[in-house]
Amino acid sequence: MRKVKTKNKLNPVLTLMLIATPLLLVFVSLFFGRYSVSPANVCSALLRPGSVSPAVLTVVRQLRLPRAIAAAFVGASLSVSGAAFQSIFRNPLVNSGILGVSNGAGFGACLAIVFLGGGLTVYFSSFAFALLAVVLSWFAGRVSKVTSTVSLILGGAMVSAFFSALISIMKFLADPYSQLPGITFWLMGSFASINYSHLTAVIPMALGILAVFLSRWKINVLSMGDKEAASLGVDVRKYKLLVITGATVATASAVCISGTIGWVGLVIPHIGRMLIGNNNSKLIPVSISLGACFMIVMDLIARSLTSSELPIGILCAVIGSPFFVYLLKKKKGGTVS
Amino acid sequence: MKYKVDSLSFSYKDLNILNNISFEINSGEAVCLIGPNGSGKTTLLDCVMGLHIPQQGAVTVEGRNVLDFSRKDLARFVSYLPQTHMPMFPYTVREMVLMGRSAYSGVFGQPGADDEKFADEAISSVGIESLALRQYTSLSGGEIKLVLLARALAQNAGLIVLDEPTASLDLKNEYEFLETLFSLIRERDISVLMATHSIEQAFRFEEAGISAETLMMRKGREPLKGAPSDVITSGSIGEVFGVSALISTATGESGRQFRSVSVTGKAD
Repeated sequence: MRKVKTKNKLNPVLTLMLIATPLLLVFVSLFFGRYSVSPANVCSALLRPGSVSPAVLTVVRQLRLPRAIAAAFVGASLSVSGAAFQSIFRNPLVNSGILGVSNGAGFGACLAIVFLGGGLTVYFSSFAFALLAVVLSWFAGRVSKVTSTVSLILGGAMVSAFFSALISIMKFLADPYSQLPGITFWLMGSFASINYSHLTAVIPMALGILAVFLSRWKINVLSMGDKEAASLGVDVRKYKLLVITGATVATASAVCISGTIGWVGLVIPHIGRMLIGNNNSKLIPVSISLGACFMIVMDLIARSLTSSELPIGILCAVIGSPFFVYLLKKKKGGTVS
Repeated sequence: MKYKVDSLSFSYKDLNILNNISFEINSGEAVCLIGPNGSGKTTLLDCVMGLHIPQQGAVTVEGRNVLDFSRKDLARFVSYLPQTHMPMFPYTVREMVLMGRSAYSGVFGQPGADDEKFADEAISSVGIESLALRQYTSLSGGEIKLVLLARALAQNAGLIVLDEPTASLDLKNEYEFLETLFSLIRERDISVLMATHSIEQAFRFEEAGISAETLMMRKGREPLKGAPSDVITSGSIGEVFGVSALISTATGESGRQFRSVSVTGKAD
């Protein structure tokens, strides 16, 4: 019988916090890293680039800044897609990879590493196969002209399993010295190689997030089930397609530059549910901001905790899971019925 | 507002469900659908909501076929109260009722101050103000039905379609739900199309002075149609439900008469 806030919109103070916190964290993350740069030099590198050494300039502007921006968008994309999928599939256990995005992207990356020589082809191949996986899930789940929720989830599970098997085949075929490490690292997720050219992926991520953000109140209605949503005056097919497309494009663009980070899309939305409730009008913006903040902090830890960088996918699960269990105990459940 | 079902026939593949069904619902009137399981009550409701395409005939609102409406436009004329309902996520009661305003919001719209006012007004007109901030999933069965009724009211449609609204409610909740529904029909001139397993509810409409044409559905055959007391007889119950039944009348203290149906055995 928890009381929840009445209004359908976030209050202005909270809205400001949701926008300011990720920006602040991006800024803060510029001050940390293995290569030691004094705070004064970091500020100079940003404000008066001429006044610092080229090495400092490179570390701050070419390495840390694009990395933090990428982490923010990847976190936001995975988290908001997870939140949207949970609602429209009426299933709190669903995450951003439900329609096969992650495994599709993984296979695309493996394929490029093994047969296309790696490099930039990895990004294009993983993006293309991520989209392909979702399209395949959609058609696999399409039974006699309607795409029901359950059949779509089953279709996604089948396509995921299929691509997961293909990933294994690729690992089997890969050269164990020159190619297998690359595959393994990709599948564990990392922002280590991010530079400005990768930030092209920010555009599709931003568009995907925007599509979900704009549809956020209608996602509430979609979570009532197809028949009810239709009777309430929502064109179910159109909105489902829009939300799934938005979430898919965002996730696929995220995964293709970061590798597989599966955990965020399940748990960050639930943390959002605990904090703000289940109304997607508020949950979607909160998920975007929380996902971004979480990923910036995780990446910061990944690249500064130990002398060699930790894979971020692993770090997210190792730090995030106990934190989630703690929240669950503290809030006594309450995110789902 | 006039809602009309005109010689409607519908089959799933080869299975004929609805056969030549016609009726009209005017403002402030009700139509009750009764009949055994699988006799096509829910199918007929779905046709009225434009969710099925009938092989013959049509459902019209103010002379316009429901299939020619967009979902959004139709939702302004027809609202729906589902039979069973348990959402995955615990929205608050107010958030649930606010969803009734979907048909009035833009493509990417959020509900505005007007919509919130409509929702609050709907909440108070079914008398559940005290529940407004509660989680919907923590409510009792009777309360849930009132929330769904409030949501249908917030939709501000002329016709409310109800599918077994009182199934699984206890006596008091059933009584209160029906009384709330009756007062809404009287005060707001709403039309009601209600499928029910509880045959006696058709009598309740009649006893409350609300015109309630009753259709006794017979799968694949034309339904029996007329006033509740004409349609619900031991003869028709025997034929359609396969049980022999007695219709009895009890007189209350104020002289009001109440009819009830007692099943006495299987029909021969």
